[in-house]
Amino acid sequence: MNIEDIEERDGLRLSWNVWPSSRVEATRTVVPIAALYTPLKVREDLPPVLYEPVTCKPPCRAILNPYCQIDVRGKLWICPFCLQRNPFPPHYKDISHTNLPAELLPKYTTIEYTLSRPAQVPPIFIYVVDTCMDEDDLKALRETLVVSLSLLPPHALVGLITFGTMTQVHEIGYSECPKCYVFRGTKEYAPKQIQDMLGLSQANRAAVRPGQPMAPQNFGAARFLMPVQQCEFQLTNILETLARDPWTVASDKRPLRCTGVAVSVAVGLLESTFPNTGARIMLFAGGACTEGPGLVVGDELREPIRSHHDIDRDGAKHFKRATKFYEGLARRASANGHAVDMFAGCLDQVGIAEMKPLTNSTNGVIVLADSFTTEIFKQSFLRLFDKDAQGHLTMGFNATFDVQTTKELKISGIIGHAISANKKSPSVGETEIGIGQTSAWKICVLTPNTSLGVYFEVVTAAGQPLQPASRGLIQFVTHFQHSSGQYRLRVTTVARNFAEAGSPQIGQSFDQEVSAVLMARIAVFKAEIDDSPDVLRWLDRMLIRLCQKFADYRKEDPTSFRLSDNFSIYPQFMFHLRRSQFLQVFNNSPDETAFYRHILDEEDVNNSLIMIQPTLMSYTFDTAPQPVLLDSVSIKPDVILLLDTFFHILIFHGSTIAEWRKAKYQDQEGYENFKELLEAPQLDAQDLLVDRFPLPRYIVCDQGGSQARFLLSKLNPSTTHMSGGLYGGPGGQGQAILTDDVSLQVFMEHLKRLAVGASTS
Amino acid sequence: SADPGMGYAQPPPGDGYAQQQQPGPVPQPGGQFFTPGLPDDPAAQAAQQPQMQQPAYYAGQQQQQQQGGVDQLANQFGQMGMGAPQGQKPFQLHTVNLVGMPIDPRELLADPPEIRLPPGACISNNPFANADPSYQRSTLNAIPTTHSLLNKSRLPFALILTPYRSLKEQDDDLAPPVVSDTVIVRCRRCRTYINPYVTFIDGGNRWKCCMCGLANDVPQLFDWDQQRGQPADRWARPELNYATVEYIAPSEYMVRPPQPPVYVFLIDVSYAAVQSGMVATATRTILESLDRLPNVDDRTKVAVIAYDVTLHFFSLPPGSTESRMLVVGDLDDVYLPQPSDILVNLTESRSALDTLLGKLSDMFQDNHAVGSAFGPALQAGFKLASPTGGKLIALSANLPSLGPGALKNREDPKLLGTSQESKLLQPQSSFYKTFAIECSRSQVSVDLFLTGSGYSDVATVSGLPRYTSGQTYFYPSFNASRSEDAIKLAHELSNLLASPIGLEAVIRVRASRGLRMSQFHGNFFVRSTDLLALPAVPWDQSYAIEMQIEETLNQPFVVLQTAVLHTSSFGERRIRVVTQALPTTQNISEVYSSADQVAIATLLANKAVERSLSNKIEDARDAVMNKMSDILGAYKTNMTAAGSGASAQLSISENLKLLPILLLGLMKHVGLRHSAQIPSDLRAYAHCLLTTLPPQLLIPYIHPCFYSLHNMPPECGTIGEHGVIMPPPLPLTSERLERHGLYLIEDGQTMFLWVGRDAVPQLVKDVFDLPAYDQLRGGKATLPILDNPFNQRVNAVIAKTREMRRTPYWPHLYVVKEDGEPPLRLWALSALIMDRADQTPSYVQFLTQLKDRVNGGSFS
Ligand SMILES: [Zn+2]
Ligand SMILES: [Zn+2]
Repeated sequence: MNIEDIEERDGLRLSWNVWPSSRVEATRTVVPIAALYTPLKVREDLPPVLYEPVTCKPPCRAILNPYCQIDVRGKLWICPFCLQRNPFPPHYKDISHTNLPAELLPKYTTIEYTLSRPAQVPPIFIYVVDTCMDEDDLKALRETLVVSLSLLPPHALVGLITFGTMTQVHEIGYSECPKCYVFRGTKEYAPKQIQDMLGLSQANRAAVRPGQPMAPQNFGAARFLMPVQQCEFQLTNILETLARDPWTVASDKRPLRCTGVAVSVAVGLLESTFPNTGARIMLFAGGACTEGPGLVVGDELREPIRSHHDIDRDGAKHFKRATKFYEGLARRASANGHAVDMFAGCLDQVGIAEMKPLTNSTNGVIVLADSFTTEIFKQSFLRLFDKDAQGHLTMGFNATFDVQTTKELKISGIIGHAISANKKSPSVGETEIGIGQTSAWKICVLTPNTSLGVYFEVVTAAGQPLQPASRGLIQFVTHFQHSSGQYRLRVTTVARNFAEAGSPQIGQSFDQEVSAVLMARIAVFKAEIDDSPDVLRWLDRMLIRLCQKFADYRKEDPTSFRLSDNFSIYPQFMFHLRRSQFLQVFNNSPDETAFYRHILDEEDVNNSLIMIQPTLMSYTFDTAPQPVLLDSVSIKPDVILLLDTFFHILIFHGSTIAEWRKAKYQDQEGYENFKELLEAPQLDAQDLLVDRFPLPRYIVCDQGGSQARFLLSKLNPSTTHMSGGLYGGPGGQGQAILTDDVSLQVFMEHLKRLAVGASTS
Repeated sequence: SADPGMGYAQPPPGDGYAQQQQPGPVPQPGGQFFTPGLPDDPAAQAAQQPQMQQPAYYAGQQQQQQQGGVDQLANQFGQMGMGAPQGQKPFQLHTVNLVGMPIDPRELLADPPEIRLPPGACISNNPFANADPSYQRSTLNAIPTTHSLLNKSRLPFALILTPYRSLKEQDDDLAPPVVSDTVIVRCRRCRTYINPYVTFIDGGNRWKCCMCGLANDVPQLFDWDQQRGQPADRWARPELNYATVEYIAPSEYMVRPPQPPVYVFLIDVSYAAVQSGMVATATRTILESLDRLPNVDDRTKVAVIAYDVTLHFFSLPPGSTESRMLVVGDLDDVYLPQPSDILVNLTESRSALDTLLGKLSDMFQDNHAVGSAFGPALQAGFKLASPTGGKLIALSANLPSLGPGALKNREDPKLLGTSQESKLLQPQSSFYKTFAIECSRSQVSVDLFLTGSGYSDVATVSGLPRYTSGQTYFYPSFNASRSEDAIKLAHELSNLLASPIGLEAVIRVRASRGLRMSQFHGNFFVRSTDLLALPAVPWDQSYAIEMQIEETLNQPFVVLQTAVLHTSSFGERRIRVVTQALPTTQNISEVYSSADQVAIATLLANKAVERSLSNKIEDARDAVMNKMSDILGAYKTNMTAAGSGASAQLSISENLKLLPILLLGLMKHVGLRHSAQIPSDLRAYAHCLLTTLPPQLLIPYIHPCFYSLHNMPPECGTIGEHGVIMPPPLPLTSERLERHGLYLIEDGQTMFLWVGRDAVPQLVKDVFDLPAYDQLRGGKATLPILDNPFNQRVNAVIAKTREMRRTPYWPHLYVVKEDGEPPLRLWALSALIMDRADQTPSYVQFLTQLKDRVNGGSFS
């Protein structure tokens, strides 16, 4: 089975598909054994499994899978992880070689159980809505939110918090008049205070007289969180009449916006009323927090919002305190299974860089839009509520993710939007990559795209004899609350062979694509902590070592350097990764960086690769559209380019095309082919947009136009202003790019020399 | 059926019950007393005989306002004996012996001793040129020229002010005349307002100040009619003819534009408040009162805050019919949840306000919150009102329990009646005073309506009205399911809302050289030495100011002028000026004969309350007792032949003969009497009233009215020339209670309808529509209105009782059965202050005690 089939079946790709059998050898292979796993990968063909899984004895609790040895006569099975024998439960008495339950069939290495225990509470959505924005934005936001109500499952609980100078929690269950609880924007409220102030605590309440039933909706969270089918009318009314923050703003001031308090109240409301149940807090921010805890920028307009330079030089005076505040909130939210989503509708930054712990530890989404009037916001937001064929939301809630390994492998950690569940099982390794020291994690919300980088180490000492056909196993167990109201358990079990040190099988099993993604995640994880130069050096070192290990070359002869096919484009990924916005942050705002990195840690292999190395299609007359090099040589006057960076989709008209287009030839008779040429990339772009989340920024530009810089910044500068002839214009084809970056060609030359041990001149 | 004219005297005397009351102590014939200070002049004595043979007890005693032309004025003028052609008449001292003297309660309604100014003291012939006692009265209507003379008399010298008294249509009250041309003439030196007691000099071009003697220029506009643009008659100016006038102040009297009337309602909506029906009653009353709120120029602003364990604000956007509720639960740090639409213009937001008040009670119908964020609610109200100033009207059904101002239930029955009791009458927290002073500075006044069923700590919370010139209204165990409770609250609240208020006011009293204000009593904050700050001046509150004679008074008369600078509820800055001129005297007998027993009792009530808080209740009673025996002793020493020797008589001047019974009533009042049974809330509330009621209300409060109804004269309870004719009041002794009788005892706050145990079935049928006495139930009641004359007469007497005084209060009516529940019976009987009760002496015993003291002590 090839890699794509496995990915299709198990939602999984491994950096190595044959594993070095000792710790030493594994270290030499540079790229760790790691998986990019998509737990909720859509599997239309999975059978509904409506019974409980059969598990191994405690403490192992591994789940019965096709890699278990079974004894149909003895009605027992041997757990491959702990080697214990387990009897089959009585209702498996009819088991035989020809009558196997689904979980034992080889094609169901991934299976999903629908557990009999229903979730006690339907999914919860709390909208946390900024009201400090201009009327157009607020109107658009209101309208979109109203539309979203019709997309929620009817039984889902929904709540509304609005904020500006103060925070208002709307009691949507109150029928007499619109009613909200107002919290001061300047104050950090303890969870108990929030509970008290919302009347959620039992104190201060008269005993119910016997025989006088108490209307339950008057108490507790039911007043604030109601099934959408019950409160849609009321909530729509509230939303439709939602006005801008009424406090006046001086012309030299930013509006007071207590985003921190608003989110903390949402977190406090949920943690006291619905701990450990699926919920999303959806924050809609029209600007940065300017007041109270979590303040990102002061309200004086003359104080600019912090940049990367400010943060780097420790010149962002609110940054650390704000980050710490949001980290605290994130810990509380994630511990209770509550996700936080952030939607920014603002030309400026809104403080995503500070608030990112909220999304990054809960797997909430980030959407950055210039305004709530944009399609980027509207479509991205509404797309969250996409349904599956059964009409259920395609998201899972309040998940735990367990990993179990056979004894040769240990878990180093995961990189993804999760938090440790602090499970100290024997599978936990010493080396730590990402969030380690545990074999289980909490993930507050899962989408079919959510992909986790899971990193392992081999612990077998070198020199131990390898059993024939010796293999290691990994079992991924994802327990989550399905939007239908049931709990589900997705189990994926993978087995891979070990190979002797030096075996060519290992190199042949290398998956350079997923490896690039997995290494990119490590690099970004490091970059969040270290200076980026250190990270770049680390990336270079790893690349050189990998090439030294797996390339064919004669020592000190760069020209002899050859990489086999399954390694050949890996250096190119690394080249583009080095240049990418993930690691070169200074052309972006801190918010954008946080956003880009957040998405990188969410997506699967293909999407991640697009982010690392954007794709470029070329359209011209008489030739079918074709992918071209992400290189300045691909720019030609008579072509249209379609760039997909995942975040941007850009159509670029070469100068000639642009002139014709400006002259409106496409509208004239006889120029139908030109019209078609213009339309072709647009149609392809529409295809790309279909299931992209968030909706990419769509740019149409002409050669020489200012918007073209998006394209130029992504292209390999094979032709720069430095590479032209000494006396002439740009040499060769393509367009010169004003950059000091080295080109891929130069990079490769360096790599070859370093890999073969040649002296660098 | 009984002939109503015959009354309900039980026809056969078979049961041996004496129908004929034994008369009280036999009056001693007068005229045998020695009056050293005056020649014994029988003619003068005769002239002094009171013109009060037919006191208008049924209509209050204030003077009839001017109705006709000059002739009529002249007539009245003559009757009043002021500036009579023969010149100043000397005061005639008439000494009476208190021992054995019968008490005629009607005499309490008499006017104070006449003010006899020297001829020419007043430049006006207007009978209203001197202050009406209902606005201002002095304990002495002739002022000793020296402190030592005053001291010798032992009489207190103080002013009792009610500058903002209400006007009652049935009394033909007219508002004080208004000086509307903004010509305000004041002395350059002492800032006295020109008044009928100045003198014009230099051919009328200058005027000489009656207080300090400075000659001031008369401004030209003083004699100019600005409206008609022609010279005007100076002598027609109100300020030269009336003691009480109001000026429309020009802009220099304003530090800012006049504030609009602002009403912030703080409504307790806790479980207890809702269940008691307070919320429903209050909101209904407020809703029905909205049209009566002062709102002449559509400037009035209103806010509603409902509170329990949190604060519920309401956004009432102009033009909207709906409100929005905004809940603030942060009690430690109260804030307004939005910058606008909470305190709203009454007219613009009327629809939303109507809707809100119409359903507020329903909104909280199922509220189970227990606890009271009273302090935070006040703070919130303050935040709303403080930018403009205004009134916080706070309705509370609980002891404040949350946030700032939270109080402990400290009521301790073990302390009641002990020397420790005063602790319970002092505030337990400084929050309320501090907050109130803050309110005063921002022109915010607080009125309290307390309806709790448990301990409410009136003593502490009443500090709010105390320092902000508001009032405390108390409804212990309020339950609106009893219609009487609902009616009382509704009446008093709606009365408060409908009454005009003077806003952002200051009161200053000026007096002639040699006099100084030394102590101030009442609900206000003393901002500087003699400036009283009143964020809102309510109708019919009284203030007492003690005076000192600092230097010998050389003038034949002195002037005491009260000025109330305030913003009227219709947005004008106004100055109400009350001027009172009083003669001076070197003659101690004049001092005695001019003393006003009602004013003295009013002052001593204030001082006693103060004393019972600063010391012990016992000390307060002792102080009253001492004052009375001091006065009697001094009188005996100075004015009788007995001098310092023992005497069988207890002498006092005629005009002070009711002072002992008034002070006995004060000492036996629920606010002061020795008892271990009086909850401190009741005491504290009584203190609120004792220190704020004007004399007209205070006197019945300490000396209740007692009427026999079953045998009242046939005209009583029917409409006479001055409205319903009241029965004659009886002395306050249970000796007057007949077992078959029906009585009314009332003190302005409470009415007891006492039913004798042998009341005939016909009486019970006629009054209560019940077959017999044993079917009658005691307690709060509303009499049925029945188709029989006696019922209608009794109802008329009760109705008249409720309306005959200038009062915001609606007394409860209790039916008390002679053999009914002991607490209610004892309560009613405690009004009969001449009886011995519990540990308090009878009037006779009291006089004996006084006599013993007077005989034993030395008073020189
Ligand atoms: Zn096992
Ligand atoms: Zn003067």
